[in-house]
Amino acid sequence: MTRSEQPRLAVTIAPGLELANPVMPASGCFGPELGAIVDLDHLGALVTKTIFLNPRSGNPAHRVTETHGGMLNSVGIPSRGVGAFVDELLPRYAAYRPPTIVSIGGLSIEEYFDVADRLADVPHVAALELNISCPNLEAGGLEIGANPHHVERVVRGVVDRVQVPVISKLTPNVTSITDIARASEAGGAAAVTAINAIVGMAVDLRGRRTQLGNNTGGLTGPATKALALRMVWQVARAISLPVIGVGGICTAEDALEFLVVGATAVQVGTATFTRPDTMLRIISGLRAWLAREGVADVRELIGSLQTGPAGHGLAAAHGRHATLAVNDYGAGTQNTRRSGRR
Amino acid sequence: MTPTPSTIPRLVKLPTNGPAAPVVTEPVLEEAPVVAHRQVGPDTWLLTLHAPVVAARVQPGQFAMLTLAREGETAPVLPRPMALYAWDRQAGTVDVMYRVVGDGTRVLATWRVGERMLTVGPVGRGFSLLPAATRVLLLGRGIGTCSLTALAETAAQRDIRVAAVTSARTPETIIGADFYASVGVQDVLAVHDEDGSSDVPRLRPRLAALLAEGGVDQIFVCGAERLLRLGAELGERFDAMVQVSLEAHMACGLGYCHGCSTGYAGLADEAPLVCHDGPVFQVARA
Repeated sequence: MTRSEQPRLAVTIAPGLELANPVMPASGCFGPELGAIVDLDHLGALVTKTIFLNPRSGNPAHRVTETHGGMLNSVGIPSRGVGAFVDELLPRYAAYRPPTIVSIGGLSIEEYFDVADRLADVPHVAALELNISCPNLEAGGLEIGANPHHVERVVRGVVDRVQVPVISKLTPNVTSITDIARASEAGGAAAVTAINAIVGMAVDLRGRRTQLGNNTGGLTGPATKALALRMVWQVARAISLPVIGVGGICTAEDALEFLVVGATAVQVGTATFTRPDTMLRIISGLRAWLAREGVADVRELIGSLQTGPAGHGLAAAHGRHATLAVNDYGAGTQNTRRSGRR
Repeated sequence: MTPTPSTIPRLVKLPTNGPAAPVVTEPVLEEAPVVAHRQVGPDTWLLTLHAPVVAARVQPGQFAMLTLAREGETAPVLPRPMALYAWDRQAGTVDVMYRVVGDGTRVLATWRVGERMLTVGPVGRGFSLLPAATRVLLLGRGIGTCSLTALAETAAQRDIRVAAVTSARTPETIIGADFYASVGVQDVLAVHDEDGSSDVPRLRPRLAALLAEGGVDQIFVCGAERLLRLGAELGERFDAMVQVSLEAHMACGLGYCHGCSTGYAGLADEAPLVCHDGPVFQVARA
């Protein structure tokens, strides 16, 4: 790569679905309203809030609260239903250049199929992302995404109904996320997104009350990054599909770490609340990081993780052992940068 | 003030057109340098940001989302919705008066002059002053008064006669009394809990006597449910439109996250959002 060339950021997350760059919003943390203050045409893709078949009012207040290093939300996915989405909301997404990935949900397996049927021939739907973290009311309210058999059925049924790629968004609230990833692959998903929010809770000590109207909520934000990285790494090794990594990404370096552990693209959620222009900062940060490191194509980083005893890869690369000079967490980032330079 | 269904009058959205529709302006994202920041009372600070586009567009009752996490930091994760206490369109500045009450405002108080704060504003649908209004009453409690101060200034500039109650727990924590006087508010009632002057049973006859001559066209409330109930009562008595500014936990400020539900039972669909449908709502007329 010569100095004048820009690093290549384009990635393919599903057959026929190439993105100009690997950065897109996480479902629920985005809407065309953001376009009033941020240029959405620079994003890799747009992702809608989860669409259900019928209107939903969502959960009672309070719906959001701040936690250490993150936030909890129990918004409850209010939705105007798929009809109003197609007629009124989708055109607002279609006004922008990036492809629109439509997140769909259901409170039963059949509801996913009904929503998919309704979206099957609708223009400007580039892909469907299945929010399988919804409670399955026919199975006692457990998350559909917690049962591999249900996941495979939902994915296969939607895949059979639509022409566009189907992405399965995995819940972390399971014992083995790789089982769910494999079920998604078996059902015919084109890609998986990992991870959805982690169920958490916050207490108002003085009032002896939960801080959220729905008692529990989804934990998101920087506090979840380490967990999300681990799960993305496991999922990427367990299946042969592209993985879209999500969980606590705030910076270009965060995004790159997800790529290194195996993600092909990333989603940004909570960090957009902190700074509405976070995704644009990440995209320009990716470009700058790759140029600085002499990496011509972002795809070179995908799954490039070196595993082994901690730190010794560095020492080997430098022909020396880690020294006492490297005495702070995070210092390894700089050493890695040096060792990666060509 | 967080609404609870059983204790407050029924609230509805302000109309989107007609004389009672608020002026709504588009938000902008500005990296706004802090140009002044000083303590003005117990735990109370006045922050001045140079945000010329926000200052040019803002209307009374609209607010701003302030990112309190400094560059390179991730906490506080959520920006904070803040009322704009006053603004200077010529200087391009907006003032935020706040009280240190939690994690976010504790960090906010550490911001120094010269630091640049990500500011999204103006957001929301603010108060609407009826073109025919000749007299208005403002009812503010605590830091909630900060949503009403700019409205008082705008009303006074339009030669509308303004009466303002600013209520607080203690005399030291009364907000905005000097500001009200400086912008030409005719009747400033600074009341507090220590001498009981803020008690509604004492406030009610004072206001009724004040308004008996000339009546009142509109009543604006922020900061306490009991003041909202009083406002609604006076509104009925004097046939005045009553508007209230609500607050809520909020993440995006633009309407896409749906985090700031008003939570009170409305229509069959989702309850209105504070950021997008409000923060100002009106008391439904019986």
